Amino acid sequence: MAADGERLLAVGLSHRTAPVEIRERLAMDEDGVKSTIERLRRDEVVEEALLLSTCNRVELYAVPRSVEALQEFYGSFRGPSGERIDDHLYWYRGREAVLHLFRVAASLDSLVLGEPQILGQVRDAVRIAGELSSLGTVLHPLTQRTLSVAKRVRSHTDIGKSRVGIGNAGVDLALQIFGSLEGKRCMLVGVGEMGRQVAVALLSAGLEELLVTNRTFERSVELASEFGGTPVRYERMADYLPRADILLAATGATQPIITVPMVRMALRERRYRTIFLIDLSVPRNIAPGIDDLEEAYLFNIDDLSKVVDEGRQARIQAADEALRLVEDETDRFLASLRTVDINDDLRRITAVAEALRIAEIERSRKLTQGLDERQLKALDAMTKALVKKLLHRPMMAARIAAREGDMEKAQLLMDPWKADR
Amino acid sequence: MERLPYIAVLVAWGFVSMGHLLPDLIGDRLRGSLRTVAWAAVVLHVGTLAAGVLVSPYPTGFPEALSGMSLGVGLAYLWVVRHRLRALGMLLAPLAMVILGTSLVVPHRSVAALEQTGYSPWLPIHLGLVFAGLAGFALSSVVGMMFLWARRRLKQKNFVGMARLPSLEVLDRIQFRAMLFGFVFLTLGIGAGGAWAAASLHQAFTMDPKVWFTLLIWAWYGAALQVRLVAGRRGRWTALFSIVGFCGLIFSLVGLNFLLAGWHSYGG
Repeated sequence: MAADGERLLAVGLSHRTAPVEIRERLAMDEDGVKSTIERLRRDEVVEEALLLSTCNRVELYAVPRSVEALQEFYGSFRGPSGERIDDHLYWYRGREAVLHLFRVAASLDSLVLGEPQILGQVRDAVRIAGELSSLGTVLHPLTQRTLSVAKRVRSHTDIGKSRVGIGNAGVDLALQIFGSLEGKRCMLVGVGEMGRQVAVALLSAGLEELLVTNRTFERSVELASEFGGTPVRYERMADYLPRADILLAATGATQPIITVPMVRMALRERRYRTIFLIDLSVPRNIAPGIDDLEEAYLFNIDDLSKVVDEGRQARIQAADEALRLVEDETDRFLASLRTVDINDDLRRITAVAEALRIAEIERSRKLTQGLDERQLKALDAMTKALVKKLLHRPMMAARIAAREGDMEKAQLLMDPWKADR
Repeated sequence: MERLPYIAVLVAWGFVSMGHLLPDLIGDRLRGSLRTVAWAAVVLHVGTLAAGVLVSPYPTGFPEALSGMSLGVGLAYLWVVRHRLRALGMLLAPLAMVILGTSLVVPHRSVAALEQTGYSPWLPIHLGLVFAGLAGFALSSVVGMMFLWARRRLKQKNFVGMARLPSLEVLDRIQFRAMLFGFVFLTLGIGAGGAWAAASLHQAFTMDPKVWFTLLIWAWYGAALQVRLVAGRRGRWTALFSIVGFCGLIFSLVGLNFLLAGWHSYGG
């Protein structure tokens, strides 16, 4: 059977079409995925199948034997109150299905645009389907291309670069200043929720040590033990300041508790190594004048939300870019399937031509009798080259026509060779 | 100077620059080949320079000086791209192109002192060391400018396209290392020049304005390193020292050789 992108079918539901109560009914673990694929193939519902099941989507990519049987299979699922789930399902065919898989794998359909986990999940699904040898002439090339397209989107666009949330905005700024958080120490002043969020993000981005200080020492001990940090007494904050590469302030104080002279002194003591300060509190806890110091970089809560906005903007822009890339790749993939299609025909044509050439040489045997070994070889090479050259242009034209999707023209170009006379 | 290979190198840098500055103009497939093209340019450049030294009159003129400097910048480009600092490559590739282009159009004159000494193996040593130093200083000043720009944006809380720039710390580290590299090689280059002069002119030192000015610049960079290593002031301080120092070097390279008479001036 020839590979044909039009036979591909994608059916499923995702966070866009179905609430969690429905999604969880279809979701399955690795064994479930395996047994479902096996069942669909045993019952001759599908020829090829790839099943992707994550907490946000359950999707089947298949070359069906019988679309009716597949519809029946999905008709058997019931929602929490016994209703059919048809309304939540989407069915894509051919180009749409290819495009959808590319978008999913490139994280363009994810709840959090650009999140990196989905590619791993797709890779797992491909591995499982591969183990069950349910990837054939359509799905095998498709899955290979999917993985490479997803990687391309990641490396050619900024989709995975900017992250969301105030905590990550803090990390982005820290990385913009330090390049890496390795070996960096952060002092958190205050135990509020916002400060905690940024501290957690910094820790998971590789922060070396977290110092925690608070007006009541017990609270800082609590928080410090929660994160594996070090509690510091509030009165000793200024002593520890020079050791902090990052200072996070989020207290309820009504006036600056970190002052310009404090930071100036800390900078001198740390030999002017850069210090990065985030003020999450309103009213502000860090004197704004600190930003005028040469090696201090101070950002307040408004600056951070600006980073968040910028990230969102960049993501939207990157998503547009990525979508264009994915559409191009879809067309290219479908074209490559078609090219595979006519390869057999082209090979047959070459064989016919070769047979004709040999027959012609046989016929001229009388004429070539007097030739020696070398001359015979030359004759052979010459006729071979001639046949190849004559075939080259029509075959090229057929290939191009096929790649452009004009199968009729491709067939027309190949027809004269196919007729057996 | 062999023009044809240099024009090829020039075209190659033009292509690489375009690949960085106008990525959409160059297809995806070609963009992947930027690094190969840059490598080819550098290899061809080295080959042409080497061939020039082996075959014809030794390289002594101002065009050769610029050509050597362009090569240095080209090498810096390769290093920078290797370290995934695309934003820097974007500046260095056009720089290599412009310097090389200038070297192709300026008039050829050779250095006065050579008429007394004749060719000596000291020449390529002296020039090679000095130009390695120059390349280091060039990279340092370009990175210094990037540092100032990136810092200004952070201070102004301008975050547009932030993730595409290297971090301040990385820029600072590169500008420092490039400066240190430049300083070491310039020191060796000056030493080699002095040794050469002592051997062939029987005086290591003279009132030659280039020698004086270069020593001044050397001291300037020495001070820059002091300020950083001893006083701990880095970042903007290093960047400003680096940019001013490099302006001085350009003046020394272009101005002094033509304007004032001395060992290094270009004779008729």
